[in-house]
Amino acid sequence: MPVGAVVRFYETARHGRTAGVSLACDRYSRPVSPLVSTASLTKRYPGVTALDDLSVDIEPGIVGLVGSNGAGKSTLIKILLGLIDVTSGSATVLDLDVRNEGPRIRQFVGYMPEHDALPPDLTATDLVTHLARMSGLPANGARERTAEVLRHVGLYEERYRAIGGYSTGMKQRVKLAQALVHDPKLLLLDEPTNGLDPGGRDEMLRLVERTGHEFGIAIIVASHLLGEIERVCDFLVAIEGGRLLQAAPLGSLTGRTGMVAVEVEDGEEALAAALAARGLPVTPDGRALLVAIDSEPAYDVVRDAIADLGLALVRLEPRRRSLEDLFRDDVPSTPGGAAAATATPVAPGSGPGATS
Amino acid sequence: MTGDVPAGAAPTANGGGAPSTGSIYDLGYRHYDGPRLGRRHALVALMTYTIRTTYGIGRGGRAKIIPFGLAAMGIVPAIVAVAILALARQAGEAGQLLAEASPLRYDSLYGAIAQIVFLFCAAQAPELLGKDQRYHVLSLYFSRALARTDYVIARVGGFAIAILILVLLPQAIVFLGRILSAPDIVAELGDNLPVLPAIIGQGLLTAGLLGAIAVTVSAFTPRRAYATAAIIAVIVIPPVIAQIAEQVARHDLARWTVLASAQDVLTATNAWLFDVRPDSDPVRAAALGPEIYFATAIGAMVVLGAILLRRYQRISA
Repeated sequence: MPVGAVVRFYETARHGRTAGVSLACDRYSRPVSPLVSTASLTKRYPGVTALDDLSVDIEPGIVGLVGSNGAGKSTLIKILLGLIDVTSGSATVLDLDVRNEGPRIRQFVGYMPEHDALPPDLTATDLVTHLARMSGLPANGARERTAEVLRHVGLYEERYRAIGGYSTGMKQRVKLAQALVHDPKLLLLDEPTNGLDPGGRDEMLRLVERTGHEFGIAIIVASHLLGEIERVCDFLVAIEGGRLLQAAPLGSLTGRTGMVAVEVEDGEEALAAALAARGLPVTPDGRALLVAIDSEPAYDVVRDAIADLGLALVRLEPRRRSLEDLFRDDVPSTPGGAAAATATPVAPGSGPGATS
Repeated sequence: MTGDVPAGAAPTANGGGAPSTGSIYDLGYRHYDGPRLGRRHALVALMTYTIRTTYGIGRGGRAKIIPFGLAAMGIVPAIVAVAILALARQAGEAGQLLAEASPLRYDSLYGAIAQIVFLFCAAQAPELLGKDQRYHVLSLYFSRALARTDYVIARVGGFAIAILILVLLPQAIVFLGRILSAPDIVAELGDNLPVLPAIIGQGLLTAGLLGAIAVTVSAFTPRRAYATAAIIAVIVIPPVIAQIAEQVARHDLARWTVLASAQDVLTATNAWLFDVRPDSDPVRAAALGPEIYFATAIGAMVVLGAILLRRYQRISA
C-alpha cells in the first residue's frame, strides 16, 4: 500500500467525524436556557409506568433519545408536544410549560410520528401545504414553504403524485417535510428510519444531520437503534423502563479511549514489535492491534512504522467506547435493555441490520 | 433510492467568491420569517378545507361526482318550480291557478330535497372524518397549532356549511326566480323578503342536525362503507319506527317516538316556520307543540357536539 493511502487513512482517523460535532458545538455554544427541561417527570397509565421520575435538560443540537421499544421514548415526545397529560413532575419546551402551553409549543415544534400517518389520495404538495396552514401559516407562505421543504427532503420531482404510490422512503420524507414546513425551532423525530432499507436509512440519517447542522434546527431523534444515534447525534439521552440512564454529549459516552485500533494484513507481530521498540505499548485485540496514543505525533510514529515495514494497512481508527457497552454496564438488572442493545451492532460504518 | 438526493443537497450554501455568471447557486435552507397566524387561522383554514373536500374541490374528478351530482339533483325541483311560475305568469289570469297548484314552493322545497340531503350526508361525512382516523392523520393535525376542540369545530362547522349550501341553493333559485320573473320586481321583492328568516332558519336546523348526526356517526365508524350504512340507518329507521308507533301503539307515550326521527323533527320545524300543515303522518298524529321539535333539534345538536368533543379528547393520536 502506498504511503499516500496510509496518510489519507490517518487523516480520516484523526479528523473524521469529530469535525461535524465540534462545528455544531460552536454554533450552539451561546448560553441559553435548556431547549427542553424535565423535572421528576412521571407518566403512569393504568398498570404501566411509562416515565418514571425523569429529570433531564436537553440543549440544542441533534439529540439522540435512545432506548428499547417501550422504554418511554414516544411517551416523552408526546408529553413534550403537550399531547398527553403528565401524571406528576413538570416539563418545559422552549421555556413553555407543556401542561398549559401546548398550542404555543406546537407552533414552534415539528413532529414526525413513528407510524404511518399519510392519506394515500393526496399529493405530497397538497398534504404538506394543508398541514402548513394547520400550523398557522397563511396560504401563500404555506405554498412557498411546501416547495422549499419538499425540495430539501428530495421529493421535488414527485411532489404532484398521490402519496399512495410512494415508496416507504418517500413517505418518510413526506413525514419529515410536514414536520419542517412551519420552520420549527425544534424537531421531534420518532424513529425516522422505521421500515427503511439500509440505503433508505443512510439517506434519512443524512437528511436528519443536514437539518440539524446546516439548517440549525434543534432535533430530538428517538431511536432504538444505537448505531443510528451514534452516526448523527451530538448528545445522547438514554432511557430504559421510563427512567433516565444517561444524558451526556455523545463524545463523552463513546469518546476516545486513548486507544487506536490498527489492522494490517499479515505482519501484526512485526508491527507490534516495531511499535514497542518506538515506545508505544500494544495490545492485540482480535485481528487488530490496540495502540495507546497519548499525543498527535504518536500517529506519525504508527504511520511511519507501517510504511517502514511495507505493510498493507486495512484500518486505522480511534477506538471508542461503544454505546452497547453503556447499556450493558449500566443496566445489568434489565435484561430487556441489554438484549435490545446487543441486538444492535454499533461498529461505525456498519449500518444495523433490518429490524422492526 | 440511493443517489436521488437533489442538487440542493450539496452543501455549497456559502460558496464564497464573486458570483460568476452561468452558475447555479444553492441558496441553502431559508428560514421562514413570515407571519404565524396561529390557532384561529388554522381553524378557519380547516373549515374552508372541509367545505372544499366535501364537494371534492381540489381533488380528482371522481371525488366531485357524488356531491355535484346530488347538488344538481337538488336544484332540479327549484328550476322546475321557477319554470312553472314563469309560465304561469305569462299565461296571465289563467296562470294564477297553475301557480297556486304548483307543488313546489318555499315550504315544500325542503320535503322535495330532504332525501338528497340525507344521501349527501351519508356519502360525504365518512370521507371527512374516517380517513383522518383510518390513516392516523390525526397525529399530524394534533401536533400543530390546532387543538383537538378546534378540529371538531372546524370539521362539523365546515360540513354543516356544505349542507347549508346544498339546502339553500334551491331556495335561492326559487327566490331569485320569483323576483326576476315578476312584472314589478320591487313589489315582488317586498313580498318575498319576509320568508327569508324561515328559509334560513330551516336551512340552519337541517344543516346543524343532519350534519351533527352524520359527523358523529362517522367519528365512531372509521370504515367508510360501515359509516355510510350507519348514517342511513340512523336517519331512515327512526321515521319508520315512528310511523309504526303512530299506527299500532295505543299508549300515549308512543307519539313521542316521532322525536327520535330527524326527518320528522325537521318536517315539523319546516311546517311551523312556513306556517303550513306538516307533511308527515306521525307528526300530525303526535300533535306536539313546535317548541318541542325545536328544543329536540337544538338539544340533539348540543348533545352530539358534546359526544364528538369527548370522542376527540380521548382518541389516541
